[in-house]
Amino acid sequence: MNVLALDFPPVSHLFEWPAIWFDGTPFAINKTVLIYLGSMLITMAIFLLAGRKRESLVPVGIQHVAESGIEFIEESVVMQTIGPEGKKYVPFLTTMFFFILFSNITEVIPFIQFPANSRMAVPITLAVLVWGIYNVLGVKAQGLGGYLKNSLFPPGVPKALYLIVTPIELVSTFLVRPFSLAIRLWANMVAGHLLLVTFAVLSTVLWDSTYVGAVAPGAMLILMTGFEILVSFLQAFIFTILTAVYIGGSIHPEH
Amino acid sequence: MTRRIRHIAAAAVIAGAVVAVQAAPAFASEETVGSCAAVEAIHTQEAVGELATLEEPGNEEALKKFDDALDACIEAPSPIIPATNEIIWGGGAFMVLLIFMIWKGVPAVRGAMDQRAEKIRTDLEAADQAKAEAVKIKTDHAAELAGAKAEAAALIDEARAQADRLKAELSARAEADIAEMRERAAADIEAGRAQALADLRAEVSQIAVGAAERVIHANLDPSTQRALVDAYIDEVAGANG
Repeated sequence: MNVLALDFPPVSHLFEWPAIWFDGTPFAINKTVLIYLGSMLITMAIFLLAGRKRESLVPVGIQHVAESGIEFIEESVVMQTIGPEGKKYVPFLTTMFFFILFSNITEVIPFIQFPANSRMAVPITLAVLVWGIYNVLGVKAQGLGGYLKNSLFPPGVPKALYLIVTPIELVSTFLVRPFSLAIRLWANMVAGHLLLVTFAVLSTVLWDSTYVGAVAPGAMLILMTGFEILVSFLQAFIFTILTAVYIGGSIHPEH
Repeated sequence: MTRRIRHIAAAAVIAGAVVAVQAAPAFASEETVGSCAAVEAIHTQEAVGELATLEEPGNEEALKKFDDALDACIEAPSPIIPATNEIIWGGGAFMVLLIFMIWKGVPAVRGAMDQRAEKIRTDLEAADQAKAEAVKIKTDHAAELAGAKAEAAALIDEARAQADRLKAELSARAEADIAEMRERAAADIEAGRAQALADLRAEVSQIAVGAAERVIHANLDPSTQRALVDAYIDEVAGANG
């Protein structure tokens, strides 16, 4: 772990935060939990403020954020993956998008500097929730037999290929999907946080010792900060659109 | 300072601030692998004397203990296993947020959006209607203007025709008057001439009779006298031509 004679913290120390309250109980509150609660409260505040009646015809400020979010989810996610009948899932997908986004973006917020989704708790919880929802919707839309048949024996595939396709579909649709969904988000945020910490520690130590040596890692830190803002949005979007794709696939087997 | 330079300056300030803030420890614990290992090394050194003696026979147990301690410095709980408290709070926060968004958040914002869309639609319809009315009014005005122009032209034509007619009538009347006056003058002249001729004839006949009486000293009967006078007058008139 000794890199360029630097003392680098162990990886677990970058992600595990000690309890602040209720230590030793299942309700222990640490920094990660505070970020989750903060994301919930910020999203609530945005939509409460945006939903107030206004005289202005042009949306401004917070109102614009909430309306753009809903329109984005509706037009770019739901309409592209489920279709008009998917509009009833807009509140669910909007909630998911904003909650994940605000839990990610804390990665680059000064003095917080930690993406809560670099902890597995919320990604896996949401992924399991999505898994349950799309399976229930699939059974509801096609019946248990129809859903299993369409999922395991996709129409249009030559019968001989079912020998290969069916086991793959079984594993992919019913076993791997929730984990792939969760790990994609979690791993991206872990990697982003590691990169930022690496360049931050490097900048600090090289600044202390050489001043000039901190220029390159400092520049990289700035670049990576911008990049991680993009990643935060992108991962929230990917998680949301994949959820919509799974829901769309389970209620429209022909797709 | 142009806007672009201001933007660049602002970006530089923000970037500097980000570096300054990011450089603060972004990890949970101040303890590092190095410091943990150092602490363990000091403990082992206190126990066995020199660390180098760990390799010597008889110190296997101390070596194993030291190795385990070093492994413990590096080891950490698997980051992929979710923590129960974070599942409870994170999942709970999401569910609370989901209920809020379904109940209040999204419907309120969507309601505001629909209301605005409805207002825009109504305003656009009103604007279309107003435009259609304006076009109709303009068309009506144009038609009225064209009618007025045609009416004015007709009036002018009629006035002109009437004037022409009046002119012709006045001209004809003047000519008739002139002709009548000329005829009347001619008649008057003719009457005056006849009168003058008759007067002259009477006077001349008297003079001639008187003269003849004096010349011939004889009386003539009235019919012979008259025949003589007429013959003389005709002769005089033929001579005056």
